Amino acid sequence: MAAILPSSVERLVAELAKLPGLGPRSAQRLAFHVMKAPPERAHALAEALVEVKDKLRPCSECFGFAEEELCPICADPRRDMTVLCAVEEPSAIIPIERTNEFRGRYHVLGGALSPIDGIDPEDLRLDELLERIARHGVTELVIATNPTMQGEATALFLADMVRDRVRVTRLASGLPVGADLEHADELTLGRALLGRRPI
Amino acid sequence: MSSPDTITASDRDHSGNWAVRQLTVADLRCWDRLTLQLNPGLVVVSGPNGAGKTSLVEAICYGMVGVSPRTTREADAIRVGRQAFHVELHVDGPHGRQVREMGYQPGLGRRMRIDEVPQRSVGLWRASGSILVFLPEELRAVKGPPAARRRAIDRILEGTDPTFAATAAAYTAAVTQRNAMLKRIKGQVAGVAGLTPWDHAVAEHGAAVATARSTMILDLQPRFARWMEELGGGPGGTLAWEPSPADLGEMAPDRFHEHLEARLAANRTRDIQAAQTLSGPHRDDVWIGIGDQDLRRTGSQGEQRTAVLALLLACRELLSEHGVTPILLLDDVLSELDPGRRRRLLDALVGQGQSWITSADPDAADLAAASGATHYLHVEDGHVAATP
Repeated sequence: MAAILPSSVERLVAELAKLPGLGPRSAQRLAFHVMKAPPERAHALAEALVEVKDKLRPCSECFGFAEEELCPICADPRRDMTVLCAVEEPSAIIPIERTNEFRGRYHVLGGALSPIDGIDPEDLRLDELLERIARHGVTELVIATNPTMQGEATALFLADMVRDRVRVTRLASGLPVGADLEHADELTLGRALLGRRPI
Repeated sequence: MSSPDTITASDRDHSGNWAVRQLTVADLRCWDRLTLQLNPGLVVVSGPNGAGKTSLVEAICYGMVGVSPRTTREADAIRVGRQAFHVELHVDGPHGRQVREMGYQPGLGRRMRIDEVPQRSVGLWRASGSILVFLPEELRAVKGPPAARRRAIDRILEGTDPTFAATAAAYTAAVTQRNAMLKRIKGQVAGVAGLTPWDHAVAEHGAAVATARSTMILDLQPRFARWMEELGGGPGGTLAWEPSPADLGEMAPDRFHEHLEARLAANRTRDIQAAQTLSGPHRDDVWIGIGDQDLRRTGSQGEQRTAVLALLLACRELLSEHGVTPILLLDDVLSELDPGRRRRLLDALVGQGQSWITSADPDAADLAAASGATHYLHVEDGHVAATP
């Protein structure tokens, strides 16, 4: 079949369609939008894309997003280095930071255990975690992996690994604040019941 | 307000029990086009063999759960010479009145709608726990592989416990992950230490599945025994959980988790060799017997048939006690029962909910009248004569 669109447009559509959540149709819609936009806007987008890839690198301490050697959190001397929060991906740091409840530092594991996807303990940043625990005299490890089966398995593995060195805690599962009980799904509500506490 | 004469007594029935109130089929098996108006209660369908009685049962199955108990190939159910079949049910249920539709056309696949809204997956569309089906040739629940009996129990659990489907899915996912890990260890791609969290996950979700199944089977047991006796299967009908590992049967459910985890740890070498998890609730079975006799292996055709029917009636009772009576679809069960037993069965079905019975018996009309059936449908030559 002959191409309907000029090859430069085809290429843009093909690249956009590789982004998560975009199918060929939405990719085409974005591509048409870029084609109609003034050149400055397209250049700004292209530059932003290139800049983020050129500048961004993993933080040498926590493996979160950084532009320097250290990310802003690891570079902040006010952050408590004796409390570490283990997360699967750097993106998980953002919601936890927004809470303003956590004053420690992070450790990005780089995923969660999933044998079916070929992800074994050796594929996570566990040696680096042990090394940081020893170097900074860490007293508590907060495990904030996702509440999925893979996340729970990873939490358990981590806990077994460091239990004799530090206090290990896990984020609680429960009800969203400000919502009615009747809208909670059975699994979440069941977990919340199991995790109930005296007041 | 509606004028009084537009509301019939049965329209005000908000019991929440499942009942088909209107059935429309197009191009299904021998049916060209058919619409029936129905009330809750007992529906007796009679007619000669091949007249399309079972196809009505099949239509309800398609409309409620999207699959037929007669075939896994939907194309087989299309009327000869036509391109597609379509089933539309107006059903009362726990969520009020729904219009449920399913169509099938080769190449296009299944199309499902609820109240005219297209539904993307059969899993979300199907009404769990809404029907219980008996077909005489379908004895898998008794003489089939253990998986068929696990499924029979799990289906009832899905109808009574809204979290069970998720629990069972989590257990399957945990076993899949553990098996993948075992394969990696056997192939020396990964170390044994990586197994611990998956032992835990399998034990945690496995304990939940085992607890649910053992409780359900205990609840079903006395009801099953009573129905076996009522239907002429004799005294001593037994339903018992045959767990994997077997020693789970000797302890209280609060010890399942710990015990499963210990067993998984102890069986590691064996499981790594096999590259799969060799024991756990995915290997459960259900003993079905009379006294010491194992009906799964040694039962006669008649005994096995009675056991399947007794199990269905026990399940129906249990679902009723949980508040929602499912629709019971019994294909050709009367011919095997003597008059007294027919009577007891029909009496039990007239009471609540909706039940369908098909029969090729010439005196089905008398039986329907004597038992107080709500509808008597005589099917012949592609037509239905309905009373009332």
